[in-house]
Amino acid sequence: MEVGFLGLGIMGKAMSMNLLKHGFKVTVWNRTLSKCDELVEHGATVGETPAAVVKKCKYTIAMLSDPAAALAVVFEKDGVLDGICSGKGYIDMSTVDDETSTKISEAITAKGGSFLEAPVSGSKKPAEDGQLVILAAGEKALYEEAIPAFDIMGKKSFFLGPVGNGAKMKLVVNMVMGSMMNAFSEGLELADKSGLDPQTLLAVLDLGAISNPMFRLKGPTMIQGNYSPAFPLKHQQKDMRLALALGDENAVPMPVAAAANEAFKKARSMGLGDKDFSAVYETVRQFKPSSS
Amino acid sequence: MTLVCRPTYGKLLSSAPMLAITSPSPSALCPPLPSRLRLKARPFRFGTGGLLALSVPFRAFSVSASASEFPERIGFLGMGIMGTPMTHNLIKAGCNITVWNRTKSKCDPLISLGAKYKASPEEVAASCDITFAMLSDPESAVEVACGTHGVVNGLSPGKGYVDVSTVDGATSKLISEHIKATGALFLEAPVSGSKKPAEDGQLIFLTAGDKALYETVSPLLDIMGKSRFYLGDVGNGAAMKLVVNMIMGSMMASFSEGLLLSKKVGLDPNVLVEVVSQGAISTPMYKLKGPSMVQSRYPTAFPLKHQQKVRNSKVYHPFLFSWSVRKFDLLAQLENDLQIIDELHLLFLLACLYSTRLCQTLPRLTNSFTSVWLGTHIEVYTL
Repeated sequence: MEVGFLGLGIMGKAMSMNLLKHGFKVTVWNRTLSKCDELVEHGATVGETPAAVVKKCKYTIAMLSDPAAALAVVFEKDGVLDGICSGKGYIDMSTVDDETSTKISEAITAKGGSFLEAPVSGSKKPAEDGQLVILAAGEKALYEEAIPAFDIMGKKSFFLGPVGNGAKMKLVVNMVMGSMMNAFSEGLELADKSGLDPQTLLAVLDLGAISNPMFRLKGPTMIQGNYSPAFPLKHQQKDMRLALALGDENAVPMPVAAAANEAFKKARSMGLGDKDFSAVYETVRQFKPSSS
Repeated sequence: MTLVCRPTYGKLLSSAPMLAITSPSPSALCPPLPSRLRLKARPFRFGTGGLLALSVPFRAFSVSASASEFPERIGFLGMGIMGTPMTHNLIKAGCNITVWNRTKSKCDPLISLGAKYKASPEEVAASCDITFAMLSDPESAVEVACGTHGVVNGLSPGKGYVDVSTVDGATSKLISEHIKATGALFLEAPVSGSKKPAEDGQLIFLTAGDKALYETVSPLLDIMGKSRFYLGDVGNGAAMKLVVNMIMGSMMASFSEGLLLSKKVGLDPNVLVEVVSQGAISTPMYKLKGPSMVQSRYPTAFPLKHQQKVRNSKVYHPFLFSWSVRKFDLLAQLENDLQIIDELHLLFLLACLYSTRLCQTLPRLTNSFTSVWLGTHIEVYTL
């Protein structure tokens, strides 16, 4: 099966690599073309522009960092729209708000193409291991055709209905995750300041009803102050912001998420935006007294 | 930036004192643990997740451990949601049990299984070698330990008192002082786990206090639980429990917001539960509670009022402490309001967790995280 792949960041690189390793023919594009080199070494071909990729491939997958990038890739000159036509499918796996997704969907289908949004749950390692959770919505027929690719990139995929539902589900999940990370950070700090060993807290948590892979994975690195990015904090904060906007549109009060968002904003203001989202721990961590 | 959230109802503990900062070291109330005492875990568990890289010895748990290994006479005070199944497990294991409960009738099921009964905590403590207590809140714990006909009147050197209730560190230390003044040993041992883990003997004990008593009662803890930790000085067990429950409560609140949002934007909350269970934030709690939350069924495993008690406790340290709002009057008020908001399954009970970071020169108020309690007019909240 031949697919195009737009966007070779943390996620896109791992996902397209998986497809290559499992026998897919992949044509890649990235705004910074040098990022394509490693994929080329593994057998990918390069498209000079998104339009070139789409013209070449029946199906094109996109994995971009945010709504602005997702829109740009579609609407700019030599973007996806310049290549899309009847018979082609565009699968946007970026995490965006439902409005952005709808806009893209309308433009694609207006030109005769079919569209599927398919944001994923999972970060760098699940992407590398093909263990993503795929939250698809849009054209059912395109979803069915994409399943072979989804089965490589992920461990489970859901079809959630009309365009917008995938985006919404992703935002809800990431909202819960962002709030949980904040609760976890506060717990670590509280334990530490109460004279308890944070490692013991991790051990206790892991035995009980709230044990989860995220705490298990991030807890030790947070204690060490190691925030090598698997999921950049700025993207997590983007997701909190989008989730809050969704809540705002629908009159859903979400003070916990709102407070978590503030913590992420604070972390960004501290210059931690490109670090892993677990760096939000630094916003509550041991206050360093001013030198006096 | 300041995000201040004041509850529109209920009483703020405005009299909560700001802890005077005189030193940068951790609060004297919770001294740091010597590292040799930090973790004595003997986890014995199946199932979810993997253990962190701790070199922890496993110990084969012998179900047929003979009753002679246990302290001879064991008392148990408090036959509530937790105390009843815990006592039940001890009886099934062959222990000699004497029970007491404020409402005597709650003791009947245990008596019918062979437990003895005494009419006051004092008498139970006097007639037993080790007495456990599982009470609902700090006030009850203090009352049972030190009140009229309280445990202290029945204790003497050679005996032990193990308080398994969840209380704040200050209460625990108060009880400890009174207990030890009698010459007896004291162990605080709050548990992580609610009704089902109690029934299944799968609790996690977070103990602190007299090490010798911990050693003596370990076989009993192993009957009632799947793992136990010894955390050092009295106060550390209470603190650990509160930290865990704080995280848990916040997670429940976050999850509730997610369920509510998903429903309001036209998604199926059951699908959200399933999606969450597939990913990095999959927890047993979400898997267990999610489906019934979606259907607004809230059978009591951990009454909301007790979760709120956790919030009312103040854990002091130099740079970070929290107030919380008294919940009972809130709940009553909201129960009234909730009658008319039937459609919303999840409602806010209160919103207050203030974090304050103090420094020597510049007081700064930062709300890093506001926690909200979501409940329903059914007034239960399962954990």
